Formats: sequence, C-alpha cells, structure tokens
Amino acid sequence: MARIKVGKPDVAPDTTSHVKGVRQGNQRRTYRWQAGHHKDGTADARRSTGVRPKRENPILAVMPNLPPG
Amino acid sequence: MAMDQQEGVEEVERLVEMSWDPITRIIGNLGIYTKIDFANQRVAECHSTSSLFRGYSVFMKGKDPRDAGFITSRICGICGDNHTTCSVYAQNMAYGIKTPKLAEWIINLGEAAEYMFDHTLFQDNLVFVDFCEAMVKSTNPSLLRRAKTTEAPNAAIHGKRTIADIMEAFNPFEGDIYKEALRVSRTTREMFCLMEGRHVHPSTVYPGGVGTMPSPTVFTDYLSRLLGIIDFFKKAVALNDDVFDFFYEALPGYEEVGRRRILLGCWGGFQDPEVVDYRYETMNDWGKAMYVTPGVIVDGELITTNLVDINLGIRILLGSSFYDDWAHEEPFVTRDPLGNPIDMRHPWNQTTLPAPQKRDFKGNYSWVMSPRWLDPRTGDHLALDTGGGPFARLYTTALAGLVDTPYVKSTGSSVQISLPKGDQLPETVLEWRIPQWSNAIERNRARVYFVAYSAAMAVYFIEQALARVRGGDTKVFQDFDVPDEAIGVGFHEAVRGVLSHHLVIRDGKIANYHPYPPTPWNASPRDEFGTPGPYEDSVQGMPIFEENGPDDFKGVDIMRAVRSFDPCLPCGVHIYLGKGRTLKKLHSPMFGASHG
Repeated sequence: MARIKVGKPDVAPDTTSHVKGVRQGNQRRTYRWQAGHHKDGTADARRSTGVRPKRENPILAVMPNLPPG
Repeated sequence: MAMDQQEGVEEVERLVEMSWDPITRIIGNLGIYTKIDFANQRVAECHSTSSLFRGYSVFMKGKDPRDAGFITSRICGICGDNHTTCSVYAQNMAYGIKTPKLAEWIINLGEAAEYMFDHTLFQDNLVFVDFCEAMVKSTNPSLLRRAKTTEAPNAAIHGKRTIADIMEAFNPFEGDIYKEALRVSRTTREMFCLMEGRHVHPSTVYPGGVGTMPSPTVFTDYLSRLLGIIDFFKKAVALNDDVFDFFYEALPGYEEVGRRRILLGCWGGFQDPEVVDYRYETMNDWGKAMYVTPGVIVDGELITTNLVDINLGIRILLGSSFYDDWAHEEPFVTRDPLGNPIDMRHPWNQTTLPAPQKRDFKGNYSWVMSPRWLDPRTGDHLALDTGGGPFARLYTTALAGLVDTPYVKSTGSSVQISLPKGDQLPETVLEWRIPQWSNAIERNRARVYFVAYSAAMAVYFIEQALARVRGGDTKVFQDFDVPDEAIGVGFHEAVRGVLSHHLVIRDGKIANYHPYPPTPWNASPRDEFGTPGPYEDSVQGMPIFEENGPDDFKGVDIMRAVRSFDPCLPCGVHIYLGKGRTLKKLHSPMFGASHG
C-alpha cells in the first residue's frame, strides 16, 4: 500500500452499507413487500394508495393500469 | 559549444514566464505554467499541473460495491450523476443484471438534462466571459471596433444586430444572454431532478434500476419544461456560429489557438434499452447501439467504435506524476471475459501509490497521471483528448453513421439535429459538420450543438418512455445479488468527455476501483515517453493575439484554449511575471468567492 500516513479508521469500511433489521431494496423476493407491483412489470392502484385502491383501477380490461400518482 | 550556450542564454532572456495557478472558472486546482515569447507572439512552453490528490481509488477498497455509485458521485460537484450512472453500468456488468427498459429511458432523460444544464452554464456563464465585450475591450480593442460595424448573419434568429451587440449580451451579470442562461440552467436542473431525484448527486439511480416513480406526469412535466427552453437552444446555436465565425474572419490565424493533432476519444452515451444487456461479451454490440457512438479518432479517421478494443487499449502511464509505480504489485485481472490479456498498466490492474513530493517541472509536477490509449496499428501511446466532451462526441457520432432517430441523424460526415417548434421559433434542423481543425473555437462551437443534440434526443426518449408507460409498464427495478468475485466496467460520457469506471469485486467487497473521468486525459502531464498532455500540447507553440504587452497581459488566448476543454469553478488569478514579480488579480465573475 501507499507510503502516506493515514489515521486509524473509526469504523469498518463497509459499516454504512447495511443496518441489521432494515429491509434492503435489493434483497430477494422484494415484490412480496412492495404492494401493487406485479412480477411482469405492471402495477395496480395499490402501488399508489391504500384507500379503496380497487376503485382506482381501470374500468375495462383493455385499458392500461396507470396507478394514480 | 560556447556559442550554443550563449544562444541558450539569449533564448531564456527573450522568454517571459507566465503562470495561472489556479485557473479560474473551474474548480481551483489546475495550474498552467507557460513561457511566452513576446517578440514572436507565441507560447514557447507549457506545463499543466494539479495540486489536488483525490484518492478515490485508495479509499474505495474494502467498501460494499453497492455504495460505489453514491460515493463516486462526490468526485464532481457539477457532473456527479455521470459518475453514478457510470458506476451503475459497471456494477450491472459485475452483478450480471440489466436495468429495466423504462428505467433505462429515465436514466437517459436525466443524463440529457445534465448535458443541457452543464453545457449551458459553462458556455454562456463561463466561456463567454472570455468572448464578452468587457473582455475584448481590454484585450483586443481593435477587434471590438470591427465587431461594432459587423452585421450578425443570423440576426433574424437571435435578434442581435451586430457582433458587438452579441458580445455585450455576454457581459457577466449584465448581459441578457448571461442572465437568460442562468434561468435556463434552473429549468434544466428541475428536469434532471424529475428523473434522478436530486441534482447533482442522484438519489434514485441504483444498479438494477431507478427509484423514480414512472407516472405519466413525470414525463409530461419534463417535456413541458424542455419545450419552454427549446427556443433558447436554437438561438444559442445561431449566436455561437456568428461569434466564432467572426473570430476566424477578423483575426486570421485564430484557428491556431488551442489547436492540436486530431486525437479524440469518446466512450459513448445514452444506452439503447432494446440492445444493452451489460455483458462484457456483447459490449461491442450494445456500445454501437448507444445514442452517442463511442470511438477513437486519430487524424480525423475513426479507428474503432468497439468498446472492447477501447477498453483493452487504455494505459495509465506515469512519468511526471507524484506516484510510485505499481508494476511490482499483484495484478487483479489478467484476462478479460473474452480471454484477451489485460496489461499491468490497465485501470483494472492499477494500484494507486501516492508519493507526495515537491513540484519540479523537470521531473514530477502533477497529481494527475497520464492516461493514454495504445494504438494497436502503430503501438503508439496516444494522448487522446475529449475536446471538452461535445467535440469528440459529435465527431465520432458523425463519422460512425450509426445513430438514426427521428430527431438526430448521423450522416457519415455530419450530425443533423431536428428541434421541435417552440413558442417563438418554428421547427428547426441544425447540422454540425466535421470541422477542419481540433482547436479552441471548434471545441466551444461543438458544445452548443451538443446541447441541441441532447434536447432532440430527450424528445425521443420521452416518446419511448411514455409509450411504455401507456402500455402499462411500470417496472423500473430488478433484484440482484452481489457476487463474491466479479469484474465490471462502465463506459459513459461525463459532460466534459470520456468516463470509465473499472471495478474488481473480491469476497463481496471492492478490491479495486478506478474511475477515469475526462480531466485526467485532458490535463495529463508529460508521460514516460515525454509526450505532453492535451492542455500542454494545445497551448505550446500557440500564437498570441492579445494586443497587451507583458505589463498588462491577461493571457486571454491561453485561457480560451484551456477553457475550451471545459476544465470544471473558481476565485482568483495569480499571474507570475518572472523576476519574482507576482501580479494578483481577482477575476469577475466568480462562484464561491468566499471559498477562495
């Protein structure tokens, strides 16, 4: 390594990357936790709202589902 | 022998040392040290030096690779998102994943807004200070007199009758173009934030996708802002053409300012989501599908557009830099995934060994290393420059003839850019043609054309993204695991030119990480073969057109040459006039004067 003098690190270099118990966005099976997101890349209104989300879904099956907000 | 020595002494006496350290209107660590021959109005010698050690490659070691995009973003305070994006590209390759298509359009839109923001700010608020009425009055009064009587050919578009009227509009703080450009910068920043969450260190760009909610409103908000400023870009191109053509005409020989051999590198920008899979094995295919074509240009000839060739040719040389050689260290990557041998001087194998020492222009004088590209035909280590970014991007895209969209088309010798109707001006087709020279004027001219290029591409990206959203696609993120062992490389275009991130993962942590942004290429010092870096090369031997003598010399021609490469913001100029006399001047305009 380099010959320059550096201080002793206060923390391990990867300390900040994860706090135990906090869900990581890139952990496996995240779709289970993300309401309203479907595996095929589509979504429904539950993605945006928890208040009667089904009423916000499209009224016809041929319409794309564009969740509000 | 004695006579030779005598001549040598006279030679030295004729030369006046002039130094600018730091160079202003960029982050204040670049110094340019020159020897000027006032009798012949030429720059005899030039050294470019940086007094700043960053050490990203040192402290990235051992960190979680998923943090790389957020940490490397802090390399730059104006184009940090380019680093995030490039790091994400490198990580995608290492993790074996790809960004969902909709997310790829979102990243492209964010990056297009960044190019529009940064180029406008740099060109209109920083470069044009060197071309404004106040500056030209104090450096070339006769030129200003001529400008007052020269009609501007594009007056119908931009509304300025004479060239001098345009120069007045460039005046810092007062000129209307200067002020308008600041307003445009605000809008382009808003556009950026819609896509990448925060400017300039994005909060919603990750490996495997983005965190931006792809609602139709996000895209229409972006589009309405873009259409509001699209006329500014049309006017800016017309203004730039008028001013730069006037310089060629009024100062014969001005093409020599900042001129160097045409040696350009572009690592490509704007991925095509339909093609890109981030696998090294197919990098040639998805590199060629990018909406800014990657390539290397030597003497006006396109040598390659293959990103694998580009990657294999990168060499990091020492010679005048404050580092120890890493040749005896353990290599990290001996073969790439295609089986090609990787050189010890390639960024994948580099180990940064800083060795602080006194600056010595006959020995080591800079913290910047000397990145070079090994020409497989001749075996030469070429000191490629980026032409400030846009120049190389437009050059490779024009020559390669691969980009073909409804708004931007490459013809093989030019790039046609079609901008939609705005509130004042009709639909406009602009054409950037490959110029004869690689010089200060052409680097500056290319910048404004690339703003138009980004705006036109953004319209296309919006259309593609909205089509996906209307089809019900909302997927912007995909799961991934961090492998224990992997390598990756990202190629992107930072605003001011080539950007590569080389990543090696061992035990799930970063074992080696080397970001190579454009400025190490442009500001590199002399390498072990004695080849000067692009700044040095373009300033050395350059004629001086300034009418002032050594006593009130401003060095505006040298500054135009160096700033044409878009080095990055600023405070004071210190001019060293030789014989121990130092002239200190505070320069207007300035950003962050309180930091100076």
